Amino acid sequence: MIEYKNVLTTCPYCGTGCALHLQVLDGALVGVLPAKGHPISNGGLCIKGWNAHAFVNHKDRLRTPLIRKNGKFVEATWEEALSLVAEKLGAIKTESGPDSIGILTSAKCTNEENYLLQKFARAVIGTNNIDHCARL
Amino acid sequence: MYEPSIIGFLCNWCSYRGADSAGMARLKYPPNIKIIRVPCSGRISPELVLRTFREGADGVMVLGCHIGDCHYSTGNHRTAKRMPVLKKLLEYTGIDPERLVINWVSAAEGEKFSIVIKDFTEKIRALPPFVETMR
Amino acid sequence: MTDRLSSLHETIKQVMPQVEGVLAIKRGPGGIAAPYLFSPERQEELDLLVLWPKEPVPDTLKIIQHAHTDSKLAIVCRGCEERGIVEMFKHYQLKWDNITLIGLQCTQEEAEFCRCAKPYTVHATTTVGEPIPGVPDPLTDKIAAMSLEEKRAFWKAEFEHCIKCYGCRNICPQCFCNICTLEDEKWVETGRLPMPSPSMYHMIRAMHMTAKCVACRECEETCPAGIPMAVQFRLIAHDVQEMFSYETGAKLDQKPPQLLVLEEGEYQRTGLPN
Repeated sequence: MIEYKNVLTTCPYCGTGCALHLQVLDGALVGVLPAKGHPISNGGLCIKGWNAHAFVNHKDRLRTPLIRKNGKFVEATWEEALSLVAEKLGAIKTESGPDSIGILTSAKCTNEENYLLQKFARAVIGTNNIDHCARL
Repeated sequence: MYEPSIIGFLCNWCSYRGADSAGMARLKYPPNIKIIRVPCSGRISPELVLRTFREGADGVMVLGCHIGDCHYSTGNHRTAKRMPVLKKLLEYTGIDPERLVINWVSAAEGEKFSIVIKDFTEKIRALPPFVETMR
Repeated sequence: MTDRLSSLHETIKQVMPQVEGVLAIKRGPGGIAAPYLFSPERQEELDLLVLWPKEPVPDTLKIIQHAHTDSKLAIVCRGCEERGIVEMFKHYQLKWDNITLIGLQCTQEEAEFCRCAKPYTVHATTTVGEPIPGVPDPLTDKIAAMSLEEKRAFWKAEFEHCIKCYGCRNICPQCFCNICTLEDEKWVETGRLPMPSPSMYHMIRAMHMTAKCVACRECEETCPAGIPMAVQFRLIAHDVQEMFSYETGAKLDQKPPQLLVLEEGEYQRTGLPN
């Protein structure tokens, strides 16, 4: 059975919020179509929107956490990676204070993930140094 | 004093040899033309002509073999199909189509070569410089 | 509109047993429509069938056919989309014998929206709706009547709004090249906005649309800057018809002029010297 459908979603890049359709053929992402009649994008997309599907299955995309050991990146588990990050960030906070740490979030994160990150910055680390790629 | 910049794409087998004939017969023609030798006039794509204008050429000439005499038998058919459409597009975009000339000059037609260059250079000299029209 | 919709619904149901899927337009969340492959196993989804806005279905058909080369598929297509499918077949992008065309004739409003000269199908044996004659294209006529200087000023102003989203190329059913000239830095400069005059991108596109543009207007509809670039493509199409007697999307067995040598009498119509 052949399955072809278009999934309506919002472009993950800038703050404009253009709608686009992700073309899905037999469960695989094959392309992007603009959304005609949408109140914001009205059937148009910028070059980033037209290529918004490209990063999803890109060969350069990380599939496991990587930790630098002896100058080289080595594959690691999530437990290893998160323990290392918690240990190091805690050490930096103790040694140099909470404001020595800054956090940059991304439009590719969901709203909920961005909310968590700012809570992490303010309540856990104790700093106001939180910003977002759309402001750059 | 404005001296127009003319770029000429001449095919290796006919029109370039025609230029040689003109030279050997000591025929005079204006020095504004800068000649680029290509294997066949069919090599000249619309992108090439447009890039030539973009770089500031005031006039572009595409000179090939007469139809039926092409060294690659049908290369100039390609020219005869693409270049007239390009001339029309220049007109629709507001660029004077007279700035692009396509003609056929054989290796023995040195005199025709010098006349074609002379006429075209004078025609382009009467027009404003290309970059000024695009401002 | 509702009569045409229910008529199309019935026609699709009749065609469905012969094919593995029917490509048409489905209403999605928020009323936003998109192409969809309706399948025989889930015919209740046909309740979400819509007719407007028109979507780029020929390109979608190509994507599906390339993955399923032997499957029989049907497609609901308007006049322009049918012409697009014919041209794609002539450029070896589609298998004609595996496609069942369901021809959808356009209404007066739809034809006027697209300024369409042929809002009806020609090859489809199964059709829905009554064909109407073509409507005039006042925009193309207005631009064609401008003087050289007016045309230059008009296009310069239009192309200055271009943001090089490549939408016109992406959505065009005829643009299938794996290596696109417009992405080659030799011909189209990168990092320059507004586009320098003359706009290489648009002029190269217009030349590459010779004997290919079927006037579906998808490019104009998707352009975020509202540039009417199809006007240039159609003006050239008129010249191609005069010089080489070639009408895009009309005849299945007529090869595009760029693939052939000069025919009898064509040279005289090109306007080139003897």
